[in-house]
Amino acid sequence: MIDFTFTEEQELFRKAARKFAETKIAPHVPVMEKTNRGWDEVVRALAEAEMFAITIPKEHGGLGMGYVARLIALEEIARVSVATAMMYQVFGLGIEAFIKSGTEEQKKKYLPRLATGERLATVAVTEPSGGSDPKGCRTKYKKVNGTYVLNGRKCFITNSHTADVQVILAVDEDNPDSLTTLIVEKGMEGFKPTHEEHKVGMRGCNTGEIEMKNVVVPSENVIGGEGKGLKVAMAAISDVGRGGMVGCALGLQQACLEASVKFSNERILYGKPISNLQAIQFKIAEMKIDLEAGRLLGYRAAAMQDKGERSGNEFAVAKYYTTEAVQKAAKMAVDIHGGYGCMEEFPVTRYLRDSFVLGPSAGTSDIMKVIISRWALS
Amino acid sequence: MLKIVVCVKAVPDQSIADKLKIDPVTKSLPRLDIPLVINSLDSHALEAALQLKEKYGAHITILCMGPPPAGNIVRECLALGADKGILLTDPAFAGADAFATAYTLAKAVEKIGPVDVIFCGMASSDGATEWVGPEMAAFLSIPVVTMVREIVKDQGDEWIVNADYEHGYRRVKLKLPAVITVTRDLNQPKSLSFSGILNARSKEIVEWNREKLDIPAERVGLKGSPTYVTEMAHLESRREVEILEGSLEEKVERLVQILSDAGVV
Amino acid sequence: MEEKSATVFVVAEQGEDGIQPVSLQLVGKARQLADKLGSKVGAVLLGQNLTKVAQKLVEVGVDFVFQGDSELLVPYQAELYSEIIVKLMVEHCPDILLIGSTFMGRELAPLVAARLKTGLTAHCIDLVINNEGILEQKIPAYGGMITIVCPKKRPQMATVANGVFPNPVLDSARSGEIIPIDVPKEFPLRVQTLEIVKEKSEGISLESASVIVAGGAGAGDHDGWHQIAELADVLNAGFGSTRPAVDAGWTELETMIGQSGKMVNPEVYIGVGLSGELQHMVGIVGAKIMIAINNDAKAPVFEQVDYGVVEDCRVFVPALVKTLKNNEAYAGKATNVI
Repeated sequence: MIDFTFTEEQELFRKAARKFAETKIAPHVPVMEKTNRGWDEVVRALAEAEMFAITIPKEHGGLGMGYVARLIALEEIARVSVATAMMYQVFGLGIEAFIKSGTEEQKKKYLPRLATGERLATVAVTEPSGGSDPKGCRTKYKKVNGTYVLNGRKCFITNSHTADVQVILAVDEDNPDSLTTLIVEKGMEGFKPTHEEHKVGMRGCNTGEIEMKNVVVPSENVIGGEGKGLKVAMAAISDVGRGGMVGCALGLQQACLEASVKFSNERILYGKPISNLQAIQFKIAEMKIDLEAGRLLGYRAAAMQDKGERSGNEFAVAKYYTTEAVQKAAKMAVDIHGGYGCMEEFPVTRYLRDSFVLGPSAGTSDIMKVIISRWALS
Repeated sequence: MLKIVVCVKAVPDQSIADKLKIDPVTKSLPRLDIPLVINSLDSHALEAALQLKEKYGAHITILCMGPPPAGNIVRECLALGADKGILLTDPAFAGADAFATAYTLAKAVEKIGPVDVIFCGMASSDGATEWVGPEMAAFLSIPVVTMVREIVKDQGDEWIVNADYEHGYRRVKLKLPAVITVTRDLNQPKSLSFSGILNARSKEIVEWNREKLDIPAERVGLKGSPTYVTEMAHLESRREVEILEGSLEEKVERLVQILSDAGVV
Repeated sequence: MEEKSATVFVVAEQGEDGIQPVSLQLVGKARQLADKLGSKVGAVLLGQNLTKVAQKLVEVGVDFVFQGDSELLVPYQAELYSEIIVKLMVEHCPDILLIGSTFMGRELAPLVAARLKTGLTAHCIDLVINNEGILEQKIPAYGGMITIVCPKKRPQMATVANGVFPNPVLDSARSGEIIPIDVPKEFPLRVQTLEIVKEKSEGISLESASVIVAGGAGAGDHDGWHQIAELADVLNAGFGSTRPAVDAGWTELETMIGQSGKMVNPEVYIGVGLSGELQHMVGIVGAKIMIAINNDAKAPVFEQVDYGVVEDCRVFVPALVKTLKNNEAYAGKATNVI
């Protein structure tokens, strides 16, 4: 079964991704934190570094590197900027909808330019009526002369304002059991991003609302088949969406651990660095245990995905575990810093704020438990 | 098409290696598994070759003498754009000083065949002698310029380069084939790209040992080194340090006092 | 051995004011080594208009100056110089050959060593003849000192930086021979120095500064670096650096102090945001007072200085600069009043 080591090539990917994150993303973090914007630069940097091509097959202009590679890239980016990692992971979610559910024509039309970052994709499911209950969505479409006229509102959508290709889940006005995912593009009349969210964490990650007012969507923009919308959305979310959160959480945990180790080696109390105190050592040990476990869960699921196996359940476990663990890790990191943990110049305060935005994204922890219990009970 | 050889050394990651200290009791170095990285000046050497490849077309061979894990470094160079990698590896090469290293590398260059230019970083971060490049040139009976900061003319077989010199630089005319050792100022190395890493899959890395190079055992490694280390001594500190105490402001005051007493302010 | 042979040779380099200081320092050391071995000191001097220089070499202890005086030897030409020196070495078979680690020396020494098939040690900070008559070459490494020997091959070669050994005393009573050597006229040069270009250098020369502030990785970024530069400015000090600062692009290689950089001997040295790696610390020779500012209490620098401040330099240095400036202003006002 098992070889738990990364290949030489994967180690090279990680090296390249880390250098990219440290040199091309890190400089933008202060501006993103301060202004809650500034995402254009990092998105451009992601495109230039071929990040969007990782999961797209070679025949559609991508690098075809797979999902373990994607997880490595996400870890390294999140270690430097969770906001950037979140946007990046959701762009990948949008791409996945095309890879899994697109027709050959749709793939040819969209994937090559998604690979270069010329076009950016996202998936929009959540509404004020709830994200945990996608069937309860109120965004609806009416079939008119072979087109789909779309009306509604989505909220808490990552990349709401940056993505120009959005895969939107809507319910048939005339048939409440039929949900369809529709490709809506910037420029279509009646479609526009509206309100931008001000999140307490992941600042600089574009999150917002989109509004559809009588948007006429042509039939070739139905993705995955009429009535199959929930399936399409879940197919992308269950592995790529959750897997993306795992990458964000693991990278952030690594950052928390590094900051804690550095601070505790430098901070002197009672004449010695506090890393000599068992209370501190134990917190660091807990962080380390969670990180090791989370990595194994995440990479196991990604490896299954690379083999073409279904991995939604395994990713649910990894998503639950790592997003819960990172919230604990961030709190412990802040505690280790003592009073300094409340000062904005110390990155751990940002880590704490970023950590709990990871919880409800791509399915809450409670939803994860629902999925996992279903798996266990089956 | 230019035939270029770039000599690369795999060195311990400095951020970790810098912490390595001679044990005062055992008088030797602790065994530590420090990850290997490309010697940073060699990245500039490779970049020089890559820029020539882009301009005129070239075949770039990476030459690296080291233990088997150094193969990762060779692969990284292929991912950056070199065409072929040669890893010179053999337990017999261990303990080589600059002389034996340069000799082994020179024998490998002879085996590679006709070469137009050999790029090396001017020094490695661990040995830092600066000797290997020029000694290679001497063994190959070709000219060398060390500490090159700019290549002014790079066409034909007579190049013009600027090399660091006292209070400035010297302009040098150089007939190829030649060895050029480079400084940081020469260029800005490119970063690894994902497509480069994937392209490296199809590129060849070969391993050559002493036998393959046809060198007698007494010419390589420790046996082939005119110099060797006889002793490692821990340096005793001759100063009694006083760590200033108190608040930030108190320490500032105390330091100003110290500087004033020393006649600095 | 021939009559005119010497056991310890130095390659002397013609410099701006006649001779490179390191060449004189090496002769001083060579004299010491030769005296221990009971033998003589030779020097190779290549350049033009060398009479005064050759005389100086004799006055610091050279017994035989082998002088190549020709316009062909200015500027430095690697192949011509190494050809002449190798020939001389083969003829005289000295025990030891020392070369200053100047720009010329660092290229010439390995060319000569390879052709003579002998060993060469870089960055020596001490040279000692041991009981077996072998030259022990000491270099700093791994937080300590390692000893290198070249027991079988000859000459035993070493390069040494300016400032490692003291400037020797000139003694006009000394006598020595000046022997002209042949300079080949039609020597084909595959590598040719066309000209030497001087560039303007700014700031206080590190080698002559009595106060030096050195910055390291702890500066963090350009802003942090400028803070340290300000401190050097306020103290009217030379501003040096460590390798990480050069690598980060905050400063030029010329400012680097250490084994592969400059050797300095200030009265007062202040290391800011540097860890105290031996490769850097060994570049500081004979400072009266050494001070370090670093936020890592475990940094090795704190074992090598007289006064240590465990603080983040990015916080401490601005505070220090502010206080120094205030004191200056106050002192200024006081004299005005008088």
